[in-house]
Amino acid sequence: MIKKNYLQDLNNSKKPFIIYKAGKGFDLYTDFSKKIILTNNNIEKFINVDTQLKSKKKETDLFIGFFGYEILNNLIGVKVKRQKGLKFPKGIFYKPETKLKIPIKLDYKPIKIIKSNKLFKININRESYKLIFDKFKKKIKSGETYQIKICTKYSNKTQIDALDFFCRLVKSNMAPEAFMIKDKNYSIISCSPENLINKNNNFITTKPIAGTLKKTKKLNKIKALIFFKKNIKESKEHNMIVDMERSDLSRICKSGSVKILRKKIVEEYKDLYHYVSLIGGRLKDNISSLDIIKAMMPGGSVIGCPKISTLNLLNAQEKESRNIYTGSFGYIKSNGDMRFNIIIRSILNYKNNSEISVASGVVIDSNAKHEFNENYIKGKALMDLYK
Amino acid sequence: MIYIIDHKDSFTHNVVHQFENFDDVTCDNYNDINENKLNKSKVIVFSPGPGSPKDYPVSSDIYKKFKGKKKIIGICLGFQQILHCEKGKIIEQRKIYHGYQSKIKVTSENSLFKKNRKFNVGRYHSLKLKEPFVAKNFEITMRCAISNVAMAIENNNEKIYGFQFHPESFLTENGNLLIKKILSA
Repeated sequence: MIKKNYLQDLNNSKKPFIIYKAGKGFDLYTDFSKKIILTNNNIEKFINVDTQLKSKKKETDLFIGFFGYEILNNLIGVKVKRQKGLKFPKGIFYKPETKLKIPIKLDYKPIKIIKSNKLFKININRESYKLIFDKFKKKIKSGETYQIKICTKYSNKTQIDALDFFCRLVKSNMAPEAFMIKDKNYSIISCSPENLINKNNNFITTKPIAGTLKKTKKLNKIKALIFFKKNIKESKEHNMIVDMERSDLSRICKSGSVKILRKKIVEEYKDLYHYVSLIGGRLKDNISSLDIIKAMMPGGSVIGCPKISTLNLLNAQEKESRNIYTGSFGYIKSNGDMRFNIIIRSILNYKNNSEISVASGVVIDSNAKHEFNENYIKGKALMDLYK
Repeated sequence: MIYIIDHKDSFTHNVVHQFENFDDVTCDNYNDINENKLNKSKVIVFSPGPGSPKDYPVSSDIYKKFKGKKKIIGICLGFQQILHCEKGKIIEQRKIYHGYQSKIKVTSENSLFKKNRKFNVGRYHSLKLKEPFVAKNFEITMRCAISNVAMAIENNNEKIYGFQFHPESFLTENGNLLIKKILSA
């Protein structure tokens, strides 16, 4: 068990640290002995060589951090043209020397509460959103994409207390892949619900979410399942993602080993229901960590389908860098095991600039107004933390 | 050996695993063809993919070169690729089927499959074959049970087969059986 006021003291010490949801509580990583800032030149060596530490037994024999969206595109040969943005690093990983288990109830009280009433700026207004939406609909009709996610970004200039934000966020929106990173000049706070890679020995799973329903008093888990099954649009989106993830896994798994382990089930969270599948397979012999990452990232469910042509459409359209959004956070152990999520429902605060990105899907029967509002709802829980 | 030509699709490796049930498979990108392996293969498969057949002239050339010499199978875009090479017109359809499960029906006596059999399949297509379509030795053998859109072609003379739907999708019933029958034909 950790000491009383441990988080308080850690936060005050200005030491970088990471908190990641694990089991019934959280894991806390700190005392970083290495920090690797990823570039297109060092990423392959980082994944395949640097992560292979001599010691493979200790709880801290791992690298933990994130890959941004752009570097994951470049890794699979997809170009992203010059974009505006914060000039935030493309990926950062840390080697921790301390790992602690901490309870689900985070014991932290900020010394002073920072509030801000500054309005968030949105990078795409309703009218431009509609234009992009219609353009992508045409691309769906001509078969260039089957499903594509338009990303909008809210930004704000404020100083934040990342740990306080994270404590409040997980109190209201706990998620199985929630995490936070706090370093000197940046912090990331996320209540991601989505696991992209879970690899133990030669067994790998992915757990895509496609379909979200807000809880109401009239709903329960069974009714939510009926809703998803009856809703043709949600079903189609989900089917597409299941077949796409099966194919991504098949690239690196033994023939015939890829199976849908849980097919189209409903998972219940505090405020919503998710439509989820779990797909797994046995890795082929001689598959490297890099092979796995290239096959699975960037995670398809938040991009659209088919992956490559949809990424190209998005990159031709988007004028601002996604930074961490739809990248992946997680760790690679020195024995090759790994766990990665998809970075969504997140705040990036870099040099006191905050960014919240959200996206929702365009399939042929979606409606621009509905999806625009959906994006706002997705961002609202995070924007409310500033108030 | 079966040579699968990938049109950069996100379903291609499902196709690979499905065909690996029956023979060795090599899969290469359409712009990175291994001529040696292609020549050695017994069967060529054109994968699904985004866009329309006219975007993939390399695949059209391969089809024309090996037509009648090797067994050729096309799936979704690959199916349209074959039709495009046979002077069929591929057009946008009003209703779009992406991630859609629907019933199709075997409509021909000459099919490898039993006439009037109905089954559920997974579909991912916004384009379809414009009809009437006539090409020597080709017959449309399966259709959508509701809209009547062409779902399969068979040319048992030259051993050319195509499916508009996805036999490798988890939405398709008995997809493996379908492929097994085509491969042993």
